[in-house]
Amino acid sequence: MPLSAQGESDERSVGAARERSAGRVVLEARGITKRFGTVVANDHIDLTVRAGELHAVLGENGAGKTTLMRILFGELQPDEGEIYLDGQRVRFRSPRDALRHGIGMVHQERKLIPAHTALENIILGHPKTGAILNLREAEREVSALCERYGFRVPLHAKVWQLSEGEKQIVEILKELYHGARILILDEPTSVLSPPEIVKLLESLTRMAKEDLAVIPFITHKLPVVLEHCDRVTILRRGRVVAEMETRHATEQTLAAAMVGREVVLQLERVEVPLGDPIVRVQDLWVRDDRGLFAVQGLSFEIRAGEILGIAGVAGNGQEPLAEALAGLRPVERGTITLDSIDITHAPVLERWRRGLGYIPTERREVGSIPTFSLVDNVLLNYHFEREFSRWGILASGQARELTERILREYSVVAAGPNAPARSLSGGNLQKVILGRVLSRKPRFLIACLPTHGLDVGAAEFVQRKILEAKQSGTAVLLISEDLDEILALSDRIAAIYEGQFTGIVPASEASKELVGELMAGLRRERV
Amino acid sequence: MSSLLVISLAAAAVFAIAALGELLEQRAGILNVGLEGVMLLSGTFGFIAAKTSGSYLQGFTVALLTGALVGLLHGFFSITLGSNQVVNGMAIWILGFGLTTYIGYPYTGPLGLKPFPTVAGLPTFFLVALALAIAIWFLLFKTHLGLKLRSVGENPSVAEASGISVTGLRYLAAILAGMLVGLGGAVYSLVYNPVWNYNYLQGWGFIALALVFFSLWNPFLVVAGAVFFGILWQLSLYPELLFPNVFSRYIWRAMPFVITIVVFIVLSTRWFRLRWGATKPEALGLAYQREN
Repeated sequence: MPLSAQGESDERSVGAARERSAGRVVLEARGITKRFGTVVANDHIDLTVRAGELHAVLGENGAGKTTLMRILFGELQPDEGEIYLDGQRVRFRSPRDALRHGIGMVHQERKLIPAHTALENIILGHPKTGAILNLREAEREVSALCERYGFRVPLHAKVWQLSEGEKQIVEILKELYHGARILILDEPTSVLSPPEIVKLLESLTRMAKEDLAVIPFITHKLPVVLEHCDRVTILRRGRVVAEMETRHATEQTLAAAMVGREVVLQLERVEVPLGDPIVRVQDLWVRDDRGLFAVQGLSFEIRAGEILGIAGVAGNGQEPLAEALAGLRPVERGTITLDSIDITHAPVLERWRRGLGYIPTERREVGSIPTFSLVDNVLLNYHFEREFSRWGILASGQARELTERILREYSVVAAGPNAPARSLSGGNLQKVILGRVLSRKPRFLIACLPTHGLDVGAAEFVQRKILEAKQSGTAVLLISEDLDEILALSDRIAAIYEGQFTGIVPASEASKELVGELMAGLRRERV
Repeated sequence: MSSLLVISLAAAAVFAIAALGELLEQRAGILNVGLEGVMLLSGTFGFIAAKTSGSYLQGFTVALLTGALVGLLHGFFSITLGSNQVVNGMAIWILGFGLTTYIGYPYTGPLGLKPFPTVAGLPTFFLVALALAIAIWFLLFKTHLGLKLRSVGENPSVAEASGISVTGLRYLAAILAGMLVGLGGAVYSLVYNPVWNYNYLQGWGFIALALVFFSLWNPFLVVAGAVFFGILWQLSLYPELLFPNVFSRYIWRAMPFVITIVVFIVLSTRWFRLRWGATKPEALGLAYQREN
């Protein structure tokens, strides 16, 4: 990048002083506007990132963060507005183009090849890798990067063997190795436990001090943002509502700016008298796809009218646990009973008949068939019922009626019951899935990340419906990576770490700090 | 007995060279189940060229070109058009079988050239196969191009995001593979058994294909497996050598396939996956379209 030597040395001396915010402007976006149909996803957004500062972009789901990010790294073209790098106007035609200009992107979904080693992933595609691989030289270079920024990751391990946090570090290293000077991170904290988040942000701060611009885009975890970031730009409904230095901000001002003047509906946890235990799980052992024990001897029970929240960082056994309960994954050892009937090895259909309801994590893969109509998708949970199928012939009228009722009751925005599932937004599709399950009046509901990726309105709706189900006597197992959601909804909270519960605490005694430490495996309560 | 081994190595050369070609393209995510067809086409055209010109060089050149052309064709259908690679491969087999029967018929009979020279009593092309195995291993695991090829076979969208041209690399792999497979076909028709007859290959292409899976996509295991399969084939020709009156030749001939199935069963066990991790190229046989 063209950079006058004089300017650089000036900035260095200034950067050495405490006044880091006075650094040179590296990246500037002016008046970025992007429309999708009638929706204005980005409305004249300005963003100024200076060298030497850690600058976070905050905003709720649907605030326009994703669109802005995609524009900054060249995946989308803005309708209006300009991007300047080191004062020069640039236009990115593709992500590769953006990378050539030094913009690196760390996605939320990993862009790594599991069968290759971490090092191979890092050097892949870089021109300086040369025709014949010099892994030793590459390793020296990557190790130096690790040293400099305080990362620790086994470079010769295959990526499939790494934890989610390590994979994220590999991605960061890859971008740095490929010459990124501006690093955009999409929700870098979402797969990490609270202590891991602190470590990552410390590393990012070190990077920011070395003339790299680091821009994490974050939805939650405001306290860490306050502690580690120098400056924040806050988006709401596609606009910049505030840009401030964090030392002038408090958690409250940030939250207020993010949410705006809209009334934040604090969900009231209604205590209902607990009924009999509905679900009882004893010493459950389940393997993951790799054949390792992902669930290691879990025991718990859930009573009628109770929500048990499972708090944990992604990949600590939540998914295999839910799948084993739903009958999609074999149980190696232990028992599961539903209303005192052993369903440990029962087929899926029998579980449904006995009153199990399941909201899977992947709404477009497991939760629905995207090319099917909504009616057919609803039927997937009902086709085995007598009223919906007689002598193998589907009662389409019934199915249509039920679908229409769900669309109405759950205020789903859709072209109609015959619209294909893939035409719905994530929030609306989730409402259909939820309505389909709850219309069965399940005895036991398993809800996996029910509000993940939904906008505020839809998320709140889903949460309210789950609370309603609980009030009507359903036993609910709530799995979520959003600690706030767990704390707001659950009656009891079980923290899971590496397939084991590190503690089960009643909501009244649960604080964010306590559960955070439990889910990081730093602390164990008697279970 | 030693002559049995030498002739087994000659057979192994055919299996190994063709399988090494197929291994290369499968590592890049392209599956060609029509090896038999490619080998028939290259072998037949190479045979005709050698017979009419009286030169091995011309025979092999024509075979390599034919293989490259068929590889390009398979590439065009499976990369550019994104059609089903298994169906393509079957089409190549049927095309190869039909076309060579039609075109090759007038050339039925022996090649009529001096036998191809050997090196120190060993089949020349077995040594070529060994050299190719080393070269392909080096290419795949020690060079950047190899890393890129493997990445394209594992996860094309990640590769694309890392600045790699998936389309270009897959074409490269398909064409190189076509040439190697074609060479394998020519080694059969010009060296191993230089007598043209319709459907002279008798399923050797399929054995080579099975060999790729058997080898777990490892070039050295391809050669080892080729020797093993070569011995099995010779035993099928002389069933009286081992267990006379017990095993008919057809049982020996089925052996490579039975063994490959057994290997597949072992491969799919949890024990194996735990011990060795993923082996199959993840994107094998899957079309890739760039997003825009």
